[in-house]
Amino acid sequence: MPIDRRHLGRRYGPFVFAVGLQHVRDFAAATGGGVPGRVFSSPPDRAHPLTWDEGAARAGPHGGLVAPPAFATTFAMEPFAQACSDPDLRVDVLRLVHGEQELEFVEPVRPGDVLTTTGEITRIQERGNLDFLEVSSTTTNQHGRVVVRGVWTAIVRN
Amino acid sequence: MKRLKDFTVGDTFEYVREVDRYRPIYYAAASGDFNPIHIDPAVGRAAGHLGVILQGMCTYAWLSDACVEYLGDPARLARLRARFTRPVQVGDVIRFEGRCTGIEGETVRLEVSARNQRGEEVLKGAVAEGRAGES
Repeated sequence: MPIDRRHLGRRYGPFVFAVGLQHVRDFAAATGGGVPGRVFSSPPDRAHPLTWDEGAARAGPHGGLVAPPAFATTFAMEPFAQACSDPDLRVDVLRLVHGEQELEFVEPVRPGDVLTTTGEITRIQERGNLDFLEVSSTTTNQHGRVVVRGVWTAIVRN
Repeated sequence: MKRLKDFTVGDTFEYVREVDRYRPIYYAAASGDFNPIHIDPAVGRAAGHLGVILQGMCTYAWLSDACVEYLGDPARLARLRARFTRPVQVGDVIRFEGRCTGIEGETVRLEVSARNQRGEEVLKGAVAEGRAGES
């Protein structure tokens, strides 16, 4: 059953997310071929040093670690995830795939940042036997500045 | 660090990542995406796959890392877009091949392909923008 277009404009959030140093390094490890965590963990093999090596990062252009850009998924995906599992939308998650992703990185994210993300459904479109569900997100930091904007698109087979 | 004048249209770069058996679980732990389709092979099979599939956003993170490595600084990646066209499974080796397609002012434009070991595209339309201004 197609998703009802009356849900267009439905909003999710705000979601508040405190960025931790270990979390940033865990993300760099997990995406960089290493193992995250404090037990049986291992370092990444090819992570950018500014996202991983605190010594190098302190001496670098940002004065400390910055999160890998894709770390945005940890805090900015929540409105999209909530929309996909919103009972009112009646989406079968086994028929859903993440179809398309766009992120705009306005300002780097650092350990210690407190981020607030809101999102809204910006497209519901039926195309053949596929439904497109698009959620747009905006994340601001504790200074009120936008750090990341996202456009998240799910495709649901009907 | 690389400066704006060090970027040239036509530059190429490459990045390769292998999906080892536990990668979807490591990525779940770091990202918070514990959708069972990435954790439980039975759920992956119920959705029509051979087993678990890797989180699309992990492939996207690799795409991002490929661009960051070329740009030289994580803070230089300004925009990244891709379509997920084929599931990535355990055992796959994903090869990213990027190219600088334009430089306008301080904006560096990139196009990247991502293929598995069978040469099949797992992403399409992957494009990025970097800001290469001296900060």
